[in-house]
Amino acid sequence: MFLVWLLAVPLAGAIAALIAPDKAAKGVAAITSILALIGFAGLLLINRSGINWNWIPQWGIRFHLAGDGLSLFLLGLCTVMFVVALLASDASLGRAYYFWMLILEFSVVGLFASVDLFVFYVFWEVLLVPVFFLLTGWSGQAGKKAAMKWLIMNLAGSFFMLVGVVALAIIHSQNGAGITFEISRLSGMAMGGAVGSWLFFAFLVAFMIKAPIWPLHGWMPETYRESLSPVTAVISGVLSKAGIYGMLRVLVPIFMPQLREYQMLLLIVAIIGLLYGAFMALRQRDMKMVTAYGSLSHMAMMALGVFSLTAVGLLGTNFYMVAHGLMVGGLFLVQGLLERRTGTRSLDKMAGLNHSAPRLAAYFLFFVMGVLGLPGLPGFAGEYMIIQGLIGPHPVFAFIAGFVIVVAAWYMLRVFLAVMQGPPQGQGIKDLLAGQVSWLVPLAGLVILIGLWPAGITNHAVPSLYHVMHFALAKGGIR
Amino acid sequence: MTLALWPEYAVVLGVLATMLAGMVSRERTIWGYWTTLAALAASGVFTIILWASGSLPRSLLHGGLSIDAFSMAVNGLVLVAAAGALLIGWNDRRYGGDFPILVLLALLGMMVLGMANNFIALFIGIEMLSLPLYILAASGGEGLSTEAGLKYLLLGAFSSGTLLFGLALLYGAAGTMVITAVVSPHLILPLAGAGLALTLVGLIFKLGIVPFHMWIPDVYEGSPLPVTTYMAFGTKVGAAAILMRFLFFGFSLASGWWGPAIGYLAVLTMIAGNLIALAQKDMKRLLAYSGIANAGYLLVGIAAHNMLGAQALLFYLLPYGLSILAAFAVLAFVAGDEESVSLDQLTGLYQRSPGLAAGMAVAFLSLAGIPLTGGFVGKFYLLQAAWAAHEPGLAVGLVVAAMIGLAAYIRPLQRSFSAVDGTPAPIRWPLAGAIVLVISVIGTIGLGVYPAPVVHIVNHSAAFYWLH
Repeated sequence: MFLVWLLAVPLAGAIAALIAPDKAAKGVAAITSILALIGFAGLLLINRSGINWNWIPQWGIRFHLAGDGLSLFLLGLCTVMFVVALLASDASLGRAYYFWMLILEFSVVGLFASVDLFVFYVFWEVLLVPVFFLLTGWSGQAGKKAAMKWLIMNLAGSFFMLVGVVALAIIHSQNGAGITFEISRLSGMAMGGAVGSWLFFAFLVAFMIKAPIWPLHGWMPETYRESLSPVTAVISGVLSKAGIYGMLRVLVPIFMPQLREYQMLLLIVAIIGLLYGAFMALRQRDMKMVTAYGSLSHMAMMALGVFSLTAVGLLGTNFYMVAHGLMVGGLFLVQGLLERRTGTRSLDKMAGLNHSAPRLAAYFLFFVMGVLGLPGLPGFAGEYMIIQGLIGPHPVFAFIAGFVIVVAAWYMLRVFLAVMQGPPQGQGIKDLLAGQVSWLVPLAGLVILIGLWPAGITNHAVPSLYHVMHFALAKGGIR
Repeated sequence: MTLALWPEYAVVLGVLATMLAGMVSRERTIWGYWTTLAALAASGVFTIILWASGSLPRSLLHGGLSIDAFSMAVNGLVLVAAAGALLIGWNDRRYGGDFPILVLLALLGMMVLGMANNFIALFIGIEMLSLPLYILAASGGEGLSTEAGLKYLLLGAFSSGTLLFGLALLYGAAGTMVITAVVSPHLILPLAGAGLALTLVGLIFKLGIVPFHMWIPDVYEGSPLPVTTYMAFGTKVGAAAILMRFLFFGFSLASGWWGPAIGYLAVLTMIAGNLIALAQKDMKRLLAYSGIANAGYLLVGIAAHNMLGAQALLFYLLPYGLSILAAFAVLAFVAGDEESVSLDQLTGLYQRSPGLAAGMAVAFLSLAGIPLTGGFVGKFYLLQAAWAAHEPGLAVGLVVAAMIGLAAYIRPLQRSFSAVDGTPAPIRWPLAGAIVLVISVIGTIGLGVYPAPVVHIVNHSAAFYWLH
């Protein structure tokens, strides 16, 4: 029943934030997100039972949510990141901003928890709307263009996925097995041939656009450039994981034969994306865009883990999603703090800020280290598992992935060096305020905890992954 | 007098009462609106009683009218359309005292179309629907409105001629006027083929299918706002209902003749309608092209030619109509004393009236097919039908069109949610229009969040045993 809490609290909070006066909206939103976090704690520690209600019985659609190993820690990532992002937002943004943020939290929670394909699709599309308005309403003319691009590219993908969703259910019912959208029941269906491939690509494209993975990342640069840093943190930290999560949740159990068939193509695409993101990150002069392209590269790393089709690779991806979300979200937020203090994001206009703001520099370095995969921080554990999964069947790809980790260290440290080190230019900036430390410390602590004890997540994820793989095994298997 | 026609009798009595009210007091036109509303309410109550009475299906006039669950559902839809149009134009002096009478008369035509099972009843229904609408379209006075009325009259007369000619040929080929009595394998082929083609042209002209859609944008733009609302919702319901009954009941076995044609027209209409909508600057024209595209979606249900298709068509009409009502209610508020709203006038709507902007957002997101609105469930239903009919082309055409449509609908939304400088004038909410807006917005969201009850009704209303 804690899942009901997790869904109901953000929705109720959103309405409360909309009714509240502009000044109180941030407080309402922050309290709401903390309540949601408490709900997640309850889900994790007390009772993990899901929801399974009748929704549209005529079509076999059930409102079925579950917090299993695949989704549990993504729900945690989502609730944590929203607390942090809301605390990091300006109180002056007004109630509509907090309304849309909480609606976004509501839809992301629903997306990560749903195990019915129809419910999954509903939340998948609903979450585009709040992001669209967050981009439209709180940024300039370029933000409006970014919002259009975001919405149209994502919807282009998801409309084809909609055909896939409908087709899977209808094929299931025409096979005489009854109409259902339950993923676990759909995955029992053997589907090959041209129809199987078409449906596979319908889903794959939607997931790749959302992640984003090269070459379908067209919406990403503008969206990341134009959005407010809390919104970027949420998009990059939480929403982008939805694409990879969809691969784990839908593609692996239902489309295993197709994954096998096109594995080499998919691996090559992911490797190109990995290299493309990394080298684009090296070329950027805007620190937010370095992180953005770095994140593009890391999403490709997660996709590599999925496409490795090995148990370790899938597990590594599942773990890396949570780890990367926390760290990249933190990094975007810290960069947002920097941008507000300096008024610029250009690497050429900042230098030596560590003299005037040592604590800010320390947190900046911490998240930079996390993102580049320093051992002891969770990014390393995730990348390690992904490469371990790759190295047996595809050693070349594993080698390239290892090389990109080195490039990642290069582009991330380049940002840190340019911004924080060297002789200070002009006046210094103010260091962190107490309010900002209050959300940075727990976030950093959480990152360290996961980094030191990855088994806390992987032990939970393993049973669900084996459940997913049980179906996959019947269809050609995972090594 | 049989109980089966009481919903229609209520409307007829309403027409008489409204005329009387107009004669009693020329000054107080509001009486006519109240009597009309009462007639609509009475007709609705009779429809529900009939629905629940269990005395259906009934066949009257030697198979000329068939009163069944399907016609009851159509009754319900057109009543909602009429009530919505009436309330949006509530007691508006611009449209004259005969506005409610003409709304009721056209309503009668739509109701007849819902139950017509005979070529003559079909034609009478089409004419009863059209004639009042010709007058209504011109009721905005000199200028665009007169032009719209004239255009509608000329093109409508042409399509009626085509329809009549087609029906005559079909009668010659089939030897019967009753739609359900047509035995497709016994038809005289060339005659029947020509007749079917001409009849279809006449019917899809009313529905506004590409390439017979040319009249729609001009007529919608020129007509007064409530009339446009009525045409966009009510006419489409009537035309879609009769088209489905005509094809599914009369020519179900000959679906090889019309199935592919309707399928291609559906895809063409959906895509062309949404594409042209992209380029529109005037909101009424944008909604006109949106209406064309939505008529294309409806055709998907017919082209699928299965039970899911019939149900999906019937279902889709409701969220479509509710979104149209909400959108036009918002436009009517924004337009105020003017007759239309341009895209630029919407800029900053959120600041002028957050409620209106929210209502418009719901309406347009539903038209675009975003989940948790009725429009999404409708499209989902249609997709199921298309896929179950083994027509992946239809399904893909539908989603491609929806994608283009999204780009068209999102522009006004973005305008209304972007800020303007200075303090813009607030907008007055007329009570009657506000009722329409609130109910249709709640209905649109309700259909998206919990569609099961309506799906149940629709399953019951369009369960034709000879389809599967």
